Formats: sequence, C-alpha cells, structure tokens
Amino acid sequence: MVRRVLSLASGRLAVGILLAIALLAILGPLLAPQDPLATSDNSLTGPSAAHWLGTDYLGRDVFSRLLDGSRVSVVGALEVTLMALVVGAVPGILSVYLGRVFEWLTLRIADTLIALPFLLFAVAVTALLGNGITQAMLVTGVLVSPLFYRVSRAATLAVARSQYVEAALISGASLGWVIRRHVWAKVLPPIAVALAQTLGVGFIIVSSLSFLGIGVQPPEPTWGGLLASDLGYLDYRPSAPFVPALLIMATVWASNLLADAIRDVSGESGRALVNTRKAKANQLAAGGTA
Amino acid sequence: MTVLEVTGLDVHYGLRRQRRQALAGASLAVERGEVVGLIGETGSGKSTLARAVLGLVRPSAGRIVIDGEDVSGYGERQWRSLRRRGVVQYVFQDPLRSLDPDLSIADSLVEPLLIQGVPRAAAEAKARTFLAKVRLDEELLPRLPGELSGGQRQRVAVARALVTEPKLVILDEPVSALDAANRVQVLEILKDLRAAGIALVFISHDLGSVAGIADRIAVLYQGELVEVGSARDIVVTPQHPYTRLLISSAPTLSTASAGRAEREALRALLTA
Repeated sequence: MVRRVLSLASGRLAVGILLAIALLAILGPLLAPQDPLATSDNSLTGPSAAHWLGTDYLGRDVFSRLLDGSRVSVVGALEVTLMALVVGAVPGILSVYLGRVFEWLTLRIADTLIALPFLLFAVAVTALLGNGITQAMLVTGVLVSPLFYRVSRAATLAVARSQYVEAALISGASLGWVIRRHVWAKVLPPIAVALAQTLGVGFIIVSSLSFLGIGVQPPEPTWGGLLASDLGYLDYRPSAPFVPALLIMATVWASNLLADAIRDVSGESGRALVNTRKAKANQLAAGGTA
Repeated sequence: MTVLEVTGLDVHYGLRRQRRQALAGASLAVERGEVVGLIGETGSGKSTLARAVLGLVRPSAGRIVIDGEDVSGYGERQWRSLRRRGVVQYVFQDPLRSLDPDLSIADSLVEPLLIQGVPRAAAEAKARTFLAKVRLDEELLPRLPGELSGGQRQRVAVARALVTEPKLVILDEPVSALDAANRVQVLEILKDLRAAGIALVFISHDLGSVAGIADRIAVLYQGELVEVGSARDIVVTPQHPYTRLLISSAPTLSTASAGRAEREALRALLTA
C-alpha cells in the first residue's frame, strides 16, 4: 500500500510535508537559537536579525519558541491518534466476533463517547487527574476513538458476512486464521484513512486545548499556545499569528491529503484510480473494461 | 457405504414469537459415489439442510451421521476439527464471491490444506494435481479471481473443495451462474467425481439442470421432503403435486408439456 500511495503525486507531497514536520519535531528543540523561555526588555518587536520572527509580549524569541514547541505539538497529536487507534480499532474488529454482550456494550460505549461534549469532558478529566499533557491526550484519544471503532467495525462486518470467510470456516478455519488471512487486508485501508484524518484532527485538538490552557502549561511553548498569546497582542504585531497558524494548517492539510491518497489507492473503487493488477482484475470481474 | 445419513431433521430460525420452522422431519441418506439432486423453490429449506450438514446451523431435533460419525450433539470445537479433516466440502453458487478477491488462485486453493497444517510446498503440489482434475492450466495459479472467466472461477471453486479429498461435496446451484458451454464442462467434471467415488449433493431450484446428472432426486417443499426417488421415477412418474408442478414447469425436460391450465390446477391443489 505504501508504494501505491507514493505513486500518486498527492501522496508524495503529503508524505514529504509530514516528514519535514516530523524532522522539525525531532530536531526542533535542539535547533532553537535562543532560550525559548528567556524573557527580555524588547517585547513585541517585529522580525529582525536577532529575532527572525520577532518577540512576544514578554520579549521571548518567537522562532525559538516555535521550534521548541514543535515536539510537544507533534508528539501530542501522535499520542491522540495512537490512543484512539488502540482503544477504537481493536474492539471494533472484535465486536463482530466476540458475541452479543461485547458487541452491545462496546456499541453503547461508543455512542456515549460521541454524545459527550468534548471540551467540557476534557476540562472535567484534567480537573480530576491533574492538568498535564498526558492526561489531556489520553482523554482526547478516548473521545476520538469511536471513529476508529465504527470504521473498523463496518469494514469487518462487510468481510465477516462474505462467502469467502464462510468457505474458510467450512474448511475448519479458526477465528485467528480468518482475521489474519481475510479480514486484515480489507480493514487496513479504511483504518489508514481514519488514522491520517485523526492525525489532522488531533493536531487541531492539541492546539485548541493548549490555546485554552489545558494540557501544556505556560510558559512551555506549543504551536496552539503561541497562536493564543499572539492573538492577544494582534494590535501591536498583526503578522504574529501567521507562522504558527501556517504550521498547524500545513500539518492538518498534509495529513488530510494523505488520507485522501490512501483512500484513492485502496478498496475496489479506489484501486480503479491507480493502474494496478488488482484494479484491473476487479474492474473486469465487475463486468467493465480494463 | 453410507456417507451421509440425516434422520428426522428439524431446524428452526428465530426466537419465541418469530420462531419459524425451516425444516421439518427431513430424512435423507447419500451413498458413496452417488449423486443426489436436492430440488425446491426459494425458502423451501434446501440451503438450510446443507448448512445443517456443515454444522453452520444447529438443528432442534434429528440426527446427522457423517461418514459413520454421529455429529448431532457436536459443539463448536468438535465441528471445527471435523471440518478441518475436510470430509464434507461445499461449493457456492457464485465463485466470484466465494473466492477472496485479494488472494491469488494458488492461495485460495491451498487454504483448506494450510488450515489442516500441511506445509506450503506440499499443499501447492497437491493443488496443482487438483487443478489438472478440473481441467485448468497451471498458469492460472498466480492470477487473481477477477482475472478469470466465470467458468474458470467455478472450476477453481470445485478444485478447492476437492483438495482435502472429501467423501461428500455439497454443491449449491453450481452451474446456474454459468453459460451453456461452461455448464457442460462443470457437469462433466462432476461426473468424473462420481466415478472417483465421491458422493455429491446437487442443490438446485431447477429440476432440469439436475435430472441429467442425479441418480436420485429429493424434492423439498415448505421445509418438508415431499418425495425422494430415483431421478427416472421422479421425472416420469411424479407422485406429489408439487413435483408434478416442477416437472410441468421445467422447460429443459422433454416431458414438459403441461399447459398453463394444468399448472394452475396443480398450484390450486397445493395451496388447498
């Protein structure tokens, strides 16, 4: 699937941007030219040789703060996504196989999570467990997990009722065999799409939570936090929110682009967009011309 | 030798008020190397009978004996080990749906053997011999189901059912999705199987497609086996009104000459 995603121009662009962001997250804090927490007298200045992106209201170097905050922002988004994947996709697949009680229970939990007002829940949990990045991401991951639950459950349901799974069962296949041999390959593409989407959503969530002061505490910088403090001083430095907003937008856009690319190359309709043997075979089987 | 013996089989679907009887007291025996045609209209219980023999539905009463083994009280685990031995196999009506579109023909063919724990190389060698038996070329092995014709796909499905060397193969409308030429080819293969001593249960809604190959024919009507007899007897001297209706409506049978009025009279007799 990776090779097919990279065969699309949009897939290559998305992966390129995300790699650059990942590099920024890994190396950013090391590259910061100045101490991101050091205050100075010259506050709210414009871009200069000493401060490439100017200074904020406490005279801190914005460029250093952006680089330093990149790791927390990106790692936070990844935490949300992985948490949602584990909490959502695994019960989603198993809900089809583990019997009615498990199915009913997980469905109702997913419904409940969808119904919860997100910010209120995040505030309540951080009040209970203490305000920290891990707690905030944990909560967010759980709240986003119904997406994975539903996507993986729907994909599994479609395969579980198929005749080739029944044929395998008639030959004495175990549940593990059916999942490994037949279900996995069909469930993976929609999960990959959800994953890339959630990465974008997770990024916005981390940013908006830190914008509200939940999760990451000042003075530690994050992209969302920078955006928040910049907005308070828009009169003095109107161009200030531009760069953090651009970084957030680029990351979200790239992960959505990646989600689209994955969707385009997977599944029977998607494969038609890419010239592969499976695409042609499926078209022929559907009675069309390849 | 009796490969399959079904006695007084009852199958119900649904619970409490929605409980509905799909099969009532069905009894049928299939001998080694015998072809039994199972005829009935949609909802008559043909597939239910097959699914009960495969252990996919649990009967509420009756006895099923497969190759001398009473499987009536079997639990999930016992069924799985029985299925793994591959004594009974099943061929679906639509091979496009019963073959995984993402697996190559080779992968689909060896699957029942791999489940048994046969090493990959040995399984592939065996798959090759069975591919030859259904008169398909080895060059199809790396292909995907979508790259084969309908007739080729159905022959692959038959080959997959054969790799475990079953004693009984149940075929659910195996030729109704095929054109005439492919139909003849698949029927020829089924005759080879009978000659090799494999018992076949051939399920169909169309008496005409079964009459040519079946030794005996069992007619299902509303969950009951209304008539069981040699193919010749069923076609020439049908006893039950439903069988007579079937024969008079089968355009492929030479005896089919009943007029519309006669068919309607038979329908009226059935509903009375």
